[in-house]
Amino acid sequence: MIEIYLRLVDKILTPVIFLIAIFLFLRGHDMPGGGFIAGLVAASAIELTILARGAQATRDRYGPWAVPLAGAGLTIAVGAALLGMYNGGFFRSIWLEFSMAGEKLKFGTPQLFDLGVMFVVVGMAITYLLRLGEAAEAAVTEQTRLERQREDRHR
Amino acid sequence: MPALALSLVILFVSAPIFWLLKPHRSLWFAWLSALPPAAITVWQVLQLPTVAQGNFIAERYAWAPTLGLELALRLDGLALFFGLIITGVGACIAFYTAYYFEGEPRQGFFYLVLYGFMASMLGLVWADDLLTLFIFWEGTSITSYLLIAFKSDYKGATEGARRALIVTTAGGLAMLAGMVLLGLHVGSFNISEILAAPDIAAASITPVALVLIFLGAFTKSAQFPFQFWLPGAMAAPTPASAYLHSATMVKAGVFLLARLHPAFSELPLWFWTLFLVGGFTMVLGGVSAIRYTDMKALLAYATVAVLGTLVMLLAFREKYAYEAFVVTVLAHALYKAPLFLSAGIVDHAMGTRDLRRLANLARAMPLVAATVVLAALSMSGVIPTMGFLAKELMLEQGFQRLEHGDGLVGGLMYAASVLAALFMVGAIVTLAWEAFFRRQADEHPAHLHHAPSPGFVAPALLLTLLGTVGAFFAGAYENLLFAPAIAAIAGEPTTLQLKLWHGLTPVFLTSLAAIAVGVGVFALRNRVRRAFAAVPEKFSSLAVYDATIDAIYHFAYRLTTVIQGSPMAPQVSVTLLAGVAVVVYALFFPTARTSVLLDSLEIPSIAEWLIFALAILGALATVRARSRLSAIISLGVVGITVTIFFIVFGAPDLALTQLLIEVLTVILLVLVFFRVRPDPFIEDDRRRAFRLFVAIAMGFFGFTVVMVNHVTQIGESISPYFLEKSYSLGKGTNVVNVILVDFRGYDTLGEITVLGLAALGGYALLRSPQIHKLRRRIVAARSAGEDGAHPVSPMKHEATEVGHD
Repeated sequence: MIEIYLRLVDKILTPVIFLIAIFLFLRGHDMPGGGFIAGLVAASAIELTILARGAQATRDRYGPWAVPLAGAGLTIAVGAALLGMYNGGFFRSIWLEFSMAGEKLKFGTPQLFDLGVMFVVVGMAITYLLRLGEAAEAAVTEQTRLERQREDRHR
Repeated sequence: MPALALSLVILFVSAPIFWLLKPHRSLWFAWLSALPPAAITVWQVLQLPTVAQGNFIAERYAWAPTLGLELALRLDGLALFFGLIITGVGACIAFYTAYYFEGEPRQGFFYLVLYGFMASMLGLVWADDLLTLFIFWEGTSITSYLLIAFKSDYKGATEGARRALIVTTAGGLAMLAGMVLLGLHVGSFNISEILAAPDIAAASITPVALVLIFLGAFTKSAQFPFQFWLPGAMAAPTPASAYLHSATMVKAGVFLLARLHPAFSELPLWFWTLFLVGGFTMVLGGVSAIRYTDMKALLAYATVAVLGTLVMLLAFREKYAYEAFVVTVLAHALYKAPLFLSAGIVDHAMGTRDLRRLANLARAMPLVAATVVLAALSMSGVIPTMGFLAKELMLEQGFQRLEHGDGLVGGLMYAASVLAALFMVGAIVTLAWEAFFRRQADEHPAHLHHAPSPGFVAPALLLTLLGTVGAFFAGAYENLLFAPAIAAIAGEPTTLQLKLWHGLTPVFLTSLAAIAVGVGVFALRNRVRRAFAAVPEKFSSLAVYDATIDAIYHFAYRLTTVIQGSPMAPQVSVTLLAGVAVVVYALFFPTARTSVLLDSLEIPSIAEWLIFALAILGALATVRARSRLSAIISLGVVGITVTIFFIVFGAPDLALTQLLIEVLTVILLVLVFFRVRPDPFIEDDRRRAFRLFVAIAMGFFGFTVVMVNHVTQIGESISPYFLEKSYSLGKGTNVVNVILVDFRGYDTLGEITVLGLAALGGYALLRSPQIHKLRRRIVAARSAGEDGAHPVSPMKHEATEVGHD
């Protein structure tokens, strides 16, 4: 019962939460948000999916991404820091500023670094959420099995 | 133009590009893949005349200026000499790889790592800064690990890879310590400046630093007693063995010694360590090579012998030793790489490279046979190959020592060289004869799958031909290539005149005799092999290594069972009480800081009192809760009140983070406990009293730390600086984010590294057997139609749980 409406919620809400994560990431340099927070928001979307569909189905969907995502995140972060060597040293920021359609836009290596942070957070969150979810499911299965045995014996 | 940095960038960038190109789809890729290293080779060849005049190209880039770390590159004679071998042989290997992995989907990954290695190795020999060198050095260790473990489903490969990684990185760490000692003493990590520092050899830290650096060099270059990792590395695909574990990477240690030679070679410590270790390694490797019937293992031991030779030659400060060194490095690259490549071709064509199962391959693959014979001639030191020149020069060095009355060193060197040489002749003749020329294999003869195409053989043949005719034309390039390298090793300019024919000198006669006796060893090869088989394995350094690693695992296991074997609550209590103890200590031994504590308390506002009250209520509810679920939710209340605090004090980012973490953990805990029927939630009063004590102590701890932090200020606050510079320097108005990703980028990088490692740890846990057992049970339960997939109604759980109490 509980799973049916959770599945509906998952279907509707998960994409929205991911969009919120992207939104929070993009505004992060000037307003509350940023890579770490965005990563946590994305993690909560994945947790919703685990609740709605179980860890096994979630693993099929997100599992293969976990470690590559964390690795890519670290690579992006180090790469962004290394780009700074163009500007005098490791971690020196480089910014591109221009205006488009009246809006002032800027792109910089710190934002790229922030993207790496987000990826690492999401990658780590997927790994652990799945692991704990699966452990819980396994424990339930085991418990049910033991209970049945006990009931059978009582009969 | 910054040509050196550009070359490295080209290699580093082509690595992922080649990976994405999916190279296994076409053999044309062979040409493309050889292009970057070939281009860099050509560029280096063009630099030869400039460098030969005693000039050099230097480039320096600030890396982390505040830490004194810079990327310093310097192309002098020695760097150019090694650089040419790296990219020249590298181009051949890249070409060969396309044929070796024809149609293999993971070929792209191999290229990715191979180019990464090539760039690291080139950076290593071009480095003019000890820390730069160290970073590239570790780069070669890691890429080597990935290449050895390429066939990851084969246990020998992963074991060999781990062994190689542990040995070389352990040595690398020791080396780093030595480098730091040197750098701090001189006040610079720049290699040129360290070598030029006055009296550096006589400094008090020098012996310690040297021994540490020796450890790095000896582990990397497979010197006794660390030689065992190299044969294990032969599980790597053949192109990697030929390139890393013969022509280039294993020479990194030798290169480092050559680099440091001008400043330190006058020390007796230097001479005796290198002479004895190198000499012994040479004999050990040379004599044991013939024992192995695996072609690659045989060649690996022969490589160990040559590495020993090179280390031994670097002990000396004399002309012949220098000449022998550079000629041996080049000759070895030009004959050993083709031998490995040929072994790979045989393996590819026959499905085995075990000599016992091979025979008469010369008919099926005449080009390969020709390559092996030419390379074997050079390895045996038959006139007129480059190998002959190398051996002649080495024997001459020993002979000179003998003539000048140094009987001990000269005699030892002469005897060791001859002994190693004759066994190596026996080994290589055995390899060539058994695989290519004899009529009948010993057992289970292998059959030809498909004959190698000419393109497959071409790189090996090209290298061999260079090594064979190279000695003829030595006069054309000796002062372009060899002399500048020697100048860098010796520390003074030099010219040289190599001659193939010196007449019937004692050295030449010795060399001839070694070959003749070597052929005799070949004739008696089966008897020699049997004799080796009788030697017990127990005393090999591999056995010692394995025992050491086992002991470490055992110790770690014991330690973990002692400190983490108990249930979670006592463990956490220990950690918390340790923190409390620190604070109590600080209070009992007060400093000026703690005395102002109580004077400056502020009275909170009503809103703050309300939030406090909420937090306290939440905490009380947690403690009083009768079920785990309500405890978790009450704990969530406490967390949310903290979030409210952050909002009240104007820290939206912290509030957001705290809120998210709170939500995630509560859901996670619910996820775990909601579905699992826990053990009865009752415990005895004594335990409860203890936990109460821990909790109160912890509250006291938190309170004290926060108050002390609040009233004491060490130095000036940095917050105004961040607030002021956030937009002007960091281009952002969210100061927290600017601090995280810009001002304190190093911190964040460290933190996400930890997070990434945690992700890997979680991944490894997932793959552990216990979890697999659990997962199998879930699957089994589902397929058996049990209701494991549909957890029992949570309400029922709750009811039973309360019922327990």
